[in-house]
Amino acid sequence: MEKQYWNPYFGGVVLGTMLFLVFAIASQGFGASGTFSRATAQLLVDSDKSWLHNAYIASYFRHGGSALNNWTVIETVGILLGGFASALLAGRFMFRPDKARRYPVAKRFLWAFVGGMIIEFSTRLTRGCTSGQGLDGMATFSVGTWIFMFAVFAAALIFSPLFRKQWVDDDIEEGGA
Amino acid sequence: MDFILPLYKNGLISPEANLFFAVVMGFAFGFVLERTGFTRSQYIADTFYFKNLAVPKIMGVTVITATTWFILFASMGWIDLGALFTPKTYVWPYLVGGLLFGLGMVMAGYCPGTAVAGLGTGKSDALVFILGLFGGAFLYFLLYPMIADFASSTDLGVLKLHDLFGGNEYTSYILTVIVESAIIGFLMILQKLTNKGEKA
Repeated sequence: MEKQYWNPYFGGVVLGTMLFLVFAIASQGFGASGTFSRATAQLLVDSDKSWLHNAYIASYFRHGGSALNNWTVIETVGILLGGFASALLAGRFMFRPDKARRYPVAKRFLWAFVGGMIIEFSTRLTRGCTSGQGLDGMATFSVGTWIFMFAVFAAALIFSPLFRKQWVDDDIEEGGA
Repeated sequence: MDFILPLYKNGLISPEANLFFAVVMGFAFGFVLERTGFTRSQYIADTFYFKNLAVPKIMGVTVITATTWFILFASMGWIDLGALFTPKTYVWPYLVGGLLFGLGMVMAGYCPGTAVAGLGTGKSDALVFILGLFGGAFLYFLLYPMIADFASSTDLGVLKLHDLFGGNEYTSYILTVIVESAIIGFLMILQKLTNKGEKA
């Protein structure tokens, strides 16, 4: 039997204390989106050096070493291991997609891929995702982060009816559970 | 005044120690994301249908908790808040990027951090999402020559709440706590209104 998820308020206190610790020690907060931009840049440059003419890619190689020689990249490896360890201990490790029960897997994968593309593209404009821009910026009182967060939630709510079938189990049996 | 924190900026730990710390804190972050349900795209997407408000509750309490520690330590003179990395404000890029991000989020159910932890728990949709992240970065690089000017437009530099509303970091802290609490409260009222007849 699966364990229950943590109470959200308790989870927030734990995560907030960790966010404080990471700033207090590393001088920067959590992040993730930069890792994939850097990994993509590294793959492109490895395959063809002429990608270094791209100004955005070049900015990752200014210090001379690999684009992956970066605090957030290393931290992202930790996130993967932490998720794995927690799921294993909680009996929740399972190879499966997450979606409403009757939603087709192929469509779920399509939206996951397209959504992933849109999100990584947008994080280049916003200098980070809900971690590196959202949490870190709200914790350091950044005005721009609040613009970002309100825009994220507004758009997600506006477009939510289009994706309802993917997420919500509108079954009759749900009521009897 | 000599601050002790943040350790890295003040030269109290080596770059190597800081990278080791990156793995440790990343591990803790991924662990907690799994414990709180953030590794499930459906659980996250439930937010936008007012089925489950765990995501905004956790984010709000996280920010309130972290800033409370910051203000406590700053008032004791233990931490230099000015040395913490703070994202710069670019008004139009953040607005447009945020709207795109929101569309991607309700479409995919993940953000980059939760997808990495989700992949660790075996979610196949998280893996597909991460492949999409590579595609999105590639697309950005291709279009960068055309959008570079927009991406760096309306640059206000590091702009904190108290730069806008006056006062000092304490003003920003109080504003942050009020706004985060108000958002959680407002969403809970909306959830009551939208889930009439349904069990919460």
